[in-house]
Amino acid sequence: MKDYTDRNRALLHFIITPTILLTVALLGGLRVDAQTRQFVFIAPPLVTLVLAILLGALFVRAGAIDLRQWLALEQPMLTNLAHLLTLLALFFASAQAFNSVLPENGLLHWMFSFFFLWTLWTNQFSAFDGRRLLKSLIVMFSTAFVLKHLLVSGLYAPEGGWFRRIASALLQGIAIDVPAFAPITGYVSFFALALYVAGLLLIGPVPVQLGATRVNKLAVREDALAKSSDQLSE
Amino acid sequence: MQRKIIQIFGVVWTLIYASFIVWIYATEPRSFKEVATNSQVAVGTYEVNQERFSNGLALFRRDQFRAARDEWAAADPAQKDPRTQFYVAYAWYREGWGRVYYDNAFFKQGLEAVNRAINLAPNGMLTVDDPDLQMHTAAELKTELEQGTETSWKDLNPLKLFRQRK
Repeated sequence: MKDYTDRNRALLHFIITPTILLTVALLGGLRVDAQTRQFVFIAPPLVTLVLAILLGALFVRAGAIDLRQWLALEQPMLTNLAHLLTLLALFFASAQAFNSVLPENGLLHWMFSFFFLWTLWTNQFSAFDGRRLLKSLIVMFSTAFVLKHLLVSGLYAPEGGWFRRIASALLQGIAIDVPAFAPITGYVSFFALALYVAGLLLIGPVPVQLGATRVNKLAVREDALAKSSDQLSE
Repeated sequence: MQRKIIQIFGVVWTLIYASFIVWIYATEPRSFKEVATNSQVAVGTYEVNQERFSNGLALFRRDQFRAARDEWAAADPAQKDPRTQFYVAYAWYREGWGRVYYDNAFFKQGLEAVNRAINLAPNGMLTVDDPDLQMHTAAELKTELEQGTETSWKDLNPLKLFRQRK
């Protein structure tokens, strides 16, 4: 019984989690052109990499990821390498999750980027724990998703309705350049964000201790929690 | 032992999948079909569709250049075959050639195609032994296309009305 648990944990930790995160990295930049229905791959803009770094710092500060447990001299090299790859996958998944909900260019791109930067920067100085951070991220990405894929894309859709008329009256004279993408782009983005949240749920503050007894595992987790509470009190 | 195997598999799988994503973003395929074509190019199994190439050649010889180019585009979707790209360039040349003036837009597209052919050919040298053509090397075709896009006093020479299409 224990063998199965350990094996499944190892599969989840070393294969499924990186796969989920890399899938987010793949889908985050995928758009489908509205007219030709062809794929358009948008590499992560520089600002999304900055946002991903800020988010990574937030993960560490909030104790959602304890770097000293993920990368440690006491661990075998292979384990450290696997953990490093998972953390890199998390970084690129974060960048692509931002890429997925950022408008591609124009004024809105910079407005969204500014709001993300502002939110992540101010959060660096807030008291967070891993659970609250995850909730906050879900709200942030959901809001950006609704704004980009429901409101903005609806606003500039060729068959836009009353909302488009109101907005065009309000924004008269302001050129907002939004490329037209097929509705499936929204579904791809939704799927990518759902996978991203699933990936975040799978990544614990402390990597899974394979083969450790329950008492050992609790001790490690307690240690990590103590460290994160120390950080918070500082 | 089993844990170690899973770890090794996880590391290898993560690296392969990450490389695949980088490759996708580098090649920017526009459809699943292009993904398949690009994969064939990457693993070295890519081949030109000979039947469609021959169809294109038959159309080219009947001066149906657009239809010929469509056939060659289907025969070499990845634009990786130097000989096909040479013929595509030749089709642009013949279609853009005029006794009074050359079509600059067609010649520019021809130049792009012949440059592709030269880049793909080993050592940048490409010779096509086709008795129906008057230019057999990519270098000759490139020079002809370049001269066609340049403007000079020679363009005013009335004798150019007697020049021949190659």
